[in-house]
Amino acid sequence: MNLDAIAAIATEYPERQSAILPALRLAQEEHGGWLPPEAIREVADALDLAPAQVEAVASFYDMLHLAPVGKHMVEVCTNLSCALVGAQQVLQAFEEQLGVAPGETSEDGRFTLRAIECAGGCGRAVVVVVDERYREPVRPEDVPGIVEELKRGD
Amino acid sequence: MSATELVTVTVDGREVHVPPGTGLVETALAAGVEIPVFCYEPRLGAAVGACRMCLCEIEGMPKLQAACTLTATNGMIVRTAQTSERAAEGQEATLEFILVNHPLDCPVCDKGGECPLQDLTFRWGPGNTRMTFPKRTFEKPIPISPAIALDRERCILCYRCTRFSESVAEDGQLVALNRGAESVIATFEDEPYLAPFSGNVIELCPVGALTSTQYRFEARPWEIQNVPTVCGLCPVGCNIQATTREGKVKRILSRNHPEVDEGWLCDKGRFAFTHLRARDRIADPLRRVRRRGFDVLSWDDALGEAAELLMQAQGRIVTALSGSETVEQAYALGRLMRAGLGAHTGVLPEETSPALDAFRLPLSAIRDAELEPVAERAPIVELWVKAARRQGAQVEQAGDALEGCRRLADKRNALGKSLRESERAILIWSGEEGAGGAHLAALAKELGFAGKPASGAFHLPCTPNGRGIADAWAAASDDEGPNPEPIGLLFVSGDEAAADPNVRALAERAERVIVNAMFQGLAVGWADLVLPGTSYLERDGTYVNLEGRLQRLRRAVIPPAPDELAWISKLAERFAVEVSPHASAVFAEVSERIYDGLPFGEVGEEAPLRTRSEAPAPQLPSEPAAEGKGLRLVRYRPLFSGPAVERVPELQFQRPAPEVELSPGDAGRRGIAPGETVTVTHNGTSLQLRARITKSLREGIVRIAAEHAGELGGTVEVAK
Repeated sequence: MNLDAIAAIATEYPERQSAILPALRLAQEEHGGWLPPEAIREVADALDLAPAQVEAVASFYDMLHLAPVGKHMVEVCTNLSCALVGAQQVLQAFEEQLGVAPGETSEDGRFTLRAIECAGGCGRAVVVVVDERYREPVRPEDVPGIVEELKRGD
Repeated sequence: MSATELVTVTVDGREVHVPPGTGLVETALAAGVEIPVFCYEPRLGAAVGACRMCLCEIEGMPKLQAACTLTATNGMIVRTAQTSERAAEGQEATLEFILVNHPLDCPVCDKGGECPLQDLTFRWGPGNTRMTFPKRTFEKPIPISPAIALDRERCILCYRCTRFSESVAEDGQLVALNRGAESVIATFEDEPYLAPFSGNVIELCPVGALTSTQYRFEARPWEIQNVPTVCGLCPVGCNIQATTREGKVKRILSRNHPEVDEGWLCDKGRFAFTHLRARDRIADPLRRVRRRGFDVLSWDDALGEAAELLMQAQGRIVTALSGSETVEQAYALGRLMRAGLGAHTGVLPEETSPALDAFRLPLSAIRDAELEPVAERAPIVELWVKAARRQGAQVEQAGDALEGCRRLADKRNALGKSLRESERAILIWSGEEGAGGAHLAALAKELGFAGKPASGAFHLPCTPNGRGIADAWAAASDDEGPNPEPIGLLFVSGDEAAADPNVRALAERAERVIVNAMFQGLAVGWADLVLPGTSYLERDGTYVNLEGRLQRLRRAVIPPAPDELAWISKLAERFAVEVSPHASAVFAEVSERIYDGLPFGEVGEEAPLRTRSEAPAPQLPSEPAAEGKGLRLVRYRPLFSGPAVERVPELQFQRPAPEVELSPGDAGRRGIAPGETVTVTHNGTSLQLRARITKSLREGIVRIAAEHAGELGGTVEVAK
């Protein structure tokens, strides 16, 4: 892993702890979208911290993953604004199309589906985040198209 | 502080005057009002307001406030739950919330009967529950180390333990994982919490979530007694409570002495007490018999045998002391050997110098210093140094201690110059070759510390009472005599002496050997007569710690054999020397000679530090250290070593691995990676050890724990 890059990040903060979050994002990118224990240990070593301190941060934030994720990450906002315009139905449509429950990864390892809290796109609810890009607004009938598009792209 | 500098706060209608900045919990206490708390603990740093138990109504603030996060300001009007219905309601709601998932298994919980959650629920809680649905459950108990068990169901997430790990011990190993309702206390990947001060989290836990595996299901609070005494396992002399039940020590708790330990203990002091019940503990006197090993003797026969051996030696006796004897014991032994038998030669594991008394300070002064060069590490002292660093003190490693002293004494040295200029500078020396603090005293004098009441110096000796014993042995007689050659009899007092290779070497030259030790492993094979030893938890008397503080040792439990003072007294009688078997009477005699007649009863529960006293100022030895090629080997005695630790199963995981510590620079030049097996060579002898890279180590120095260093010494070479 790119320890020098982490060391460089650390110099931008007054305290080493502050560099944990950006360092973890970098580590997650390099480890295929999630943080295995080795990745946490590497970040801890690079920042001269205990691995537990790094894991505490990694387990706190929703966008850092401590278990393997699929090639594609589909996240449906189910917070208030999205819920009012049918987020539950959108989520259900994805469940049917992908054959997984929220929080799970498909058996072929291609898709992970998650229900998330507010993604900050309330004006154009329902917000669906696909591989870190927003699709908005999404209606249940748009879901087959999105899934088809992702499968075609592979 | 004068009245003008105080602020006036009204708590529940009572006016109280406190210095500005006093915490509201303490302010209320000053007014005689208790604000209940769980997470609040000033020793852990800034308050976090995590548990919300301390909710109060403050005039001018619309919502209830967490009192622990506020400080006293002038004119503040506080209403606690005692007078404010809103605060009482809030507090009750908080407790109800805390208890939502708490199992209420108090009848089978170790904490039951001495549990803040139980007490506060009883006094402030709702009295009944509205919860009708199942509580959250976890796998339990989880061993977070061989010494500590974690029950996550009982945890109320006050974060005291994680704050200790993060901001007091600074090991960062115990953390809260996840978020909100999912939060749990954990270590990384369920690895054991491997840190020298881990046991403190047990005492900090305000519920039964973190418990001691040694104390689990061992006693209930109403059937125990807590004996206030001091720890005898290192020279810090932390104040402790020994919890006993039915004549056995069950656990060790801290007894906060704010100048010595601030209520923290190391894991050795906390968990090593089970060595009292070690399988090879000696309970009866033993006599070596040819081909048969040992015979058990009656005490009468043993004393007869001892007197015979002492007589036969005709004064050619050497007494090897451990440094863990009480002052009284060392004095009594001195009276017997020196006054009774004219045998004046005593051997201590290391020198002790009174010269440092001129620079005496309480250990707590380390925290308030601004500058401190440190050599190596020691328990508790390490926590004080960390506290100093957190407060902004500059902490420097002097590395090779004697060489470091010479460097600092040089007027051109930059750090030495800052030390001369600072009003609050502290020197700490740990490790051997310190001439008992004399080198450090010479440096402190050179730096002008004598006139600065907040600047001082600490020498960390390797024995708990080396200083007290040196003084007591010296006080036992005014006569002197030559060192005997050949040695007729070697008298080995205590386990540390019995385990000391130098003492073993002395025994080779002695015709006969008497060993006074606790454990068979230390006595068999070389002793002609073995007299059972006792532990610091089984003795009455006094210890002098590394500050020079005289502290009171209390007998917590009765030893399996008479204590040393009892039989030394009997033995002395045979040589027409009168020594009392009672610590108080012996102390009275010692005190007359060296402690200004201080009465035994006034040594005190929370002993004060004696004032600075002058002693002849030594000189720093001027000859430079022998230059050698290669790396200088520092053999150190790790915290978790010695006869007691070896006999405690819960501490085995803390013992040092067979490793050699290298600085990153030295490792890099030799192409050594962490964890690789390397060969350490000195004068043709070599050892295979695992390499460990320590960032804080100076270049040119390698460290190996004494128990893994074999015959190595001086300068060594390390290669793959």
